[in-house]
Amino acid sequence: MRHVLFVAFRMLLHRKRQTLVSILGVSMGVSAFVVMSSLMLGFQNYFIQQVIDLEPHIRIKPRTENAESSPYVLLLGEKMEEKDRILGWQEVIESLEAHPEVLGVAPRLVSKGILKYGVRDKPVTLLGIDPQREPKASIVEKFLKNRNLQRLETNRTGVILGVLVAKSLGIEQTGKKLLLVAPNGQTLLVTVEDFFDSGITNLDDSRVYLNIKTLQSLLEKQGEVNEIIVKIRDVNRAERLSRLFQEGIAYEVESWQKAYKNFLSIFKIQNTITYMIVFAILTVSAFGIFNIIMMTVLEKKKDIAILMAMGFTRNDVLLVFMTEGLVVGTLGAVLGSVVGFGLQEYLESIKLDVEGLIRTQGFVLDRDTLLYVYAFFFSLFFSLLASLYPSYRASRLNPVDIFRSQ
Amino acid sequence: MNLLELRGVRKSIGQEEILKGIDLLVKRGEFVAVVGASGSGKSSMLYIMGLLDKPTYGEVFFEGDRVDFSKEKKLSELRNRRIGFVFQFHYLLPEFTLLENVMLPAVKLGVRREQAKERAYELLKSLGLAGKEHRRIYQISGGEMQRVAIARALINNPSLLLADEPTGNLDSRNTYVVMEIFKEINRGGTTILMVTHEPHLALQAHRVVEVRDGLILSDHPTQRA
Repeated sequence: MRHVLFVAFRMLLHRKRQTLVSILGVSMGVSAFVVMSSLMLGFQNYFIQQVIDLEPHIRIKPRTENAESSPYVLLLGEKMEEKDRILGWQEVIESLEAHPEVLGVAPRLVSKGILKYGVRDKPVTLLGIDPQREPKASIVEKFLKNRNLQRLETNRTGVILGVLVAKSLGIEQTGKKLLLVAPNGQTLLVTVEDFFDSGITNLDDSRVYLNIKTLQSLLEKQGEVNEIIVKIRDVNRAERLSRLFQEGIAYEVESWQKAYKNFLSIFKIQNTITYMIVFAILTVSAFGIFNIIMMTVLEKKKDIAILMAMGFTRNDVLLVFMTEGLVVGTLGAVLGSVVGFGLQEYLESIKLDVEGLIRTQGFVLDRDTLLYVYAFFFSLFFSLLASLYPSYRASRLNPVDIFRSQ
Repeated sequence: MNLLELRGVRKSIGQEEILKGIDLLVKRGEFVAVVGASGSGKSSMLYIMGLLDKPTYGEVFFEGDRVDFSKEKKLSELRNRRIGFVFQFHYLLPEFTLLENVMLPAVKLGVRREQAKERAYELLKSLGLAGKEHRRIYQISGGEMQRVAIARALINNPSLLLADEPTGNLDSRNTYVVMEIFKEINRGGTTILMVTHEPHLALQAHRVVEVRDGLILSDHPTQRA
């Protein structure tokens, strides 16, 4: 093998400029892969993590079809009683709590409403929660600016506003009083106790937490619950467990994956597009390698012939050129990883307000070292693939034909 | 003792028959010159003797063993260990220094780098190239290039040195130098088979084989024999 490396390295060093261009091509592909994957996965993982932290792992809610399309509704024009509530919710909670994989269960009453503050008003989603039970089933407290969830217990007219709700109403401090209008026309003067900042725009722009009893009373739905949230040990088992729970519950059991199916589908599309772009970059760099090795093979026919005359086998010749591809791929991967790391550091250091689906103070990056491993293997794979054909062509040259043609 | 033998060797390229039945025996230590006009088949014969090309028909024996042309690895090994080639064009690799060019077959053989380097230094020195070992091929003359090619062919101590028009590109002074080197190598025990179309060079060998139209027309010893 020493003789193969001896020749391969010399050939690469002799064509410094072309070799460098090929290495740069591969490194561009690798750094693009690292940075783009890091940005994309960072954003997606952040979003998913926030969703997992904020949203119920499993949610139990009334079936829409029970209310809208049952024969009872169609014949009598009236909606079933359980259309917007869960009957026997205490028993449901008890049975769920008994499951070994369940960490906590909490009831909720969810409704729409309008908040009025001065001349401004804002349609919101009201989440009536039990401040004692809620922390067992979600980590909403983590996202509160003053961590004042228990204030909803002590102050029954207290509310926690999403930061964007507060912003659009012009509220910057706690203690402010504002008017809450329920869908049934009832109103209640409430006090801002805390702010909720999850970083997910649509939640922060719509959610208002208040005590479940306050909301029940305001909606005239004493003792009613229309959502049960469940926290489980392994979030990845949410879909499987939801199917299991569904067998014993008459209401709709929905995992977080199902609730955020649309987003997860978008992420898949996003990943596909990103990897297609990276694939295109790597393909272009692979063509660079193909080109340089093919050129070398065509220009070095007589050198290949003399190598064969002095005892190099066809395999040796194949390996010489494959090694060249491998070396270019490896150096490109190393350089690309260094550049990718540098770009990640730079992007992470930038402080700017990113506001879209999520809100952050800068880019959220996934710094997983596996990305570098993948990039390394991709670049090696593409480099070997690119050098395969020219190397094969070189190994199939007939030295006698070449000597005769001189 | 026989080193190389061709028995009824024929070679066709497409429809054209280049060698039409060659029988030739080369003994160890011989210096054989193969002469003939251009296109007579002498180079084709040399490629078969050098195990670079296989005959269409016939058999080749090297060091007493019948050569199996289907075993590519074995052929490469024989070329590397037992045969040295010198061509009309030097075919030195431009990426390497003179020393490295000479070392290459030894590195292929698996000789330790330091050992190969030492042997290459010795050979270059013996061929009058001392002090030029680290030069590249574009820094030396045509005659020197051919001497480097000879050094490369000799590094693994081959039993057979095949030379295809080795002086074809050289002036008379360098031709003389190369021929003296060949004679010296031959005196050292290496069998040489040289293809040439210059009769006065052929006469410096022990034996002259004349090839015409793919057949051996004559095979006779010279006064040097």
